[in-house]
Amino acid sequence: MASDTATQNVGRVTQVIGSTFDAQFDDDKLPDIYNAVEIDLGENGILTGEVQQHLGGGRIRCVALGSTDGMVRGQDCSDTGSPVSVPVGDATLGRVFNVLGKPVDGRGDVEPDGYRAIHQTPPLVTELSTNTELFETGIKVIDLLTPFVRGGKAGLFGGAGLGKTVILTELIARIASSHGGYSVFAGVGERTREGTDLWLEMQEAKIGDTGRSVIEQTCMVFGQMNEPPGARLRVALSALTMAEHFRDTTGADTLLFVDNIFRFSQAGSEVSALLGRMPSAVGYQPTLATEMGALQERIASTKQGAITSVQAVYVPADDPTDPAPATAFGNLDAFLYLERNIASKGIYPAVDPLASSSRILDPQYVGERHYQIARQVQTILQRYRELQDIIAILGVDELSESDKMIVHRARRLERFLSQPFLVAEVFTGKPGEITPLEDTLRSFEEICNGKWDHLPEGAFMYIGSVDQAEEQARKMEEG
Amino acid sequence: MANARALDKRRKSVRNIRKITRTMELIATARFKKAMDRATAATSYTRRITEVVASLAKSGTEVQHPLLEERTATDNAALIVLTSNRGLCGGYNGNIIRETMRQFDSLSESYENVKLIVSGKRGITNLEFRDYSADDTYTQFEDEPLFEDIKPIADQLLDEFIAGRLDRLDVAYTKFISSSKQVAVVETLLPLGSVGEAEDEIGIDADFEFFPSAESILEEVVPMSFRINLFKCFLDAAVSEQIARMVAMKSATENADDMIRNLSMTYNRARQSQITGEIMEIIGGVEALKS
Repeated sequence: MASDTATQNVGRVTQVIGSTFDAQFDDDKLPDIYNAVEIDLGENGILTGEVQQHLGGGRIRCVALGSTDGMVRGQDCSDTGSPVSVPVGDATLGRVFNVLGKPVDGRGDVEPDGYRAIHQTPPLVTELSTNTELFETGIKVIDLLTPFVRGGKAGLFGGAGLGKTVILTELIARIASSHGGYSVFAGVGERTREGTDLWLEMQEAKIGDTGRSVIEQTCMVFGQMNEPPGARLRVALSALTMAEHFRDTTGADTLLFVDNIFRFSQAGSEVSALLGRMPSAVGYQPTLATEMGALQERIASTKQGAITSVQAVYVPADDPTDPAPATAFGNLDAFLYLERNIASKGIYPAVDPLASSSRILDPQYVGERHYQIARQVQTILQRYRELQDIIAILGVDELSESDKMIVHRARRLERFLSQPFLVAEVFTGKPGEITPLEDTLRSFEEICNGKWDHLPEGAFMYIGSVDQAEEQARKMEEG
Repeated sequence: MANARALDKRRKSVRNIRKITRTMELIATARFKKAMDRATAATSYTRRITEVVASLAKSGTEVQHPLLEERTATDNAALIVLTSNRGLCGGYNGNIIRETMRQFDSLSESYENVKLIVSGKRGITNLEFRDYSADDTYTQFEDEPLFEDIKPIADQLLDEFIAGRLDRLDVAYTKFISSSKQVAVVETLLPLGSVGEAEDEIGIDADFEFFPSAESILEEVVPMSFRINLFKCFLDAAVSEQIARMVAMKSATENADDMIRNLSMTYNRARQSQITGEIMEIIGGVEALKS
């Protein structure tokens, strides 16, 4: 990136505040906003920063994409003339990168097809693909109530420890292993350990029966919680840029997994005050929605190719009205809300069937039958929830007969929404279940119609299609 | 958790429910006393008259009475079910319904026609929902059933029994044993022979002299014994209903109290965190303006 020194535009660092810094340039040679600037920190390596603001008088304010340790006033700060650019193309497959596009897996340099700036304009509305098609996952609760869209965006919302990352890894295991296209994983501000686990898992997992491991079709970009806010703020963009390249050049279906998009907002909030912006609601940056929009708008399917994206969204203090998750919410096609009450009953995935929804849960897209079954399931569970206070106070005996029946079925449905996961096999000892959509629909229909009323509730826990309930009931009886 | 207003609204509705359950508890307590007095007053009489009939039947007199005879015919049976008109009494009705269904099914196996007579709205609707259609229904019996109201029903059943249109009569009701124990039972009232035998131990070995004649005495006493026994079932059911309601409402009130306590706690916490959040925002804004 470094051009020859003669023409290079060099300024001086004038102020360092946490992970932001100011630099003074010549008035007429001001670096553009979003340009990368580099500072040689000697033994601490080269620090890259990104221009965020022009302060007037030749001064710029930047966010450091690395640690500002050892930075002092007066150091040289050179403009690279372009935003941070990451390597793209087939060479990136199977590799692990950091926010700057440097490989961090210790497997040497990459020789990419080219570099691409992490800041891009979103595709034009006229370029967007208007195709709407259901994307089958084999997870009952998702396929029934929150069907994913091929080439769409899905969000997993949930508080701490409800299993967002587990569902995300499960989806990777299910989708990526049966998927012919490319996958890009962005680790944003989560535990480094989770990233390592995933990396190792992907090396073991095979794509279908081709004998190739999932990692060969995947590239991973990490800016985990040990990194400064600047890195976490931009790592999602780096990953997205790589995915965009696959979409635009190969036309293949590309999968983009982001864990966790909330950390992106959080990182923005960490640097926002340092950049001198006035905090807005709940202390978030005033530009919260803008930043999220700039990212989400680019995750789109165009006529050239599709990006199907699954994003985990942390919900602070289990409060979905918090501005960060609320902002992410509006950008998504399918929306899974994980609920603590359900997780504490031991039902995983702890998807709240009433709070979760999908844009395509509509007879127009999924068909009349699917829609009716999903609505019926929701109606029963909704009624059960309304009755819960009455049951808590007066007891089940006071309910009318039809309400008792609803409670009876709702309790079975609730348990039937659980499912053994492929990735959780080591913990549960149960092999993962991939339930085809047709089985899912039939199972729920039969439970709603009372065909399985005679089986005990426990028989519905952690099974695939409802036919397995009978067998499980028999096993339970035998003890 | 987050929405303080929604929590407050919910707490208010729980408070309203609590008001109702608390009132019901008090009313049930008052009614229970009355009903129990009536039931205990009737107990001695019922026991005595049953004993008399039993010992008469056993005393070896040559006299026969149609009500005392064993019936071998298995054509018609009837099952009277005593439930309450009102709900909010816990498992009271549910237990009787369960007994009823069991008994009805087993009667249906051995008898050709089984007539179902249901008293109480709860039982009527409940059995209807389960596809047990009642042939006869009564809803006029509340917490103070009167003998005059039950007599015509009893007489009608007696007539049918004597005429041979009825071979067996069972009653499903909640037997009042003590104020802390009531059980849903099914008892056979007709033919009468089966009634007295259980209470034999107090049986008096006296010799009876009938005057003016054994027939005339039996003619009066035996049907009376049946009426009284049926009446006693209604009285027992009434007491048991009040007790069931009292217990159910007491625990409901306690549950509501618990819920209000929990809701108050979450509400206060939500309110406090909302205030804290707002203060922090203001302070944050001020600090940001300063620099």
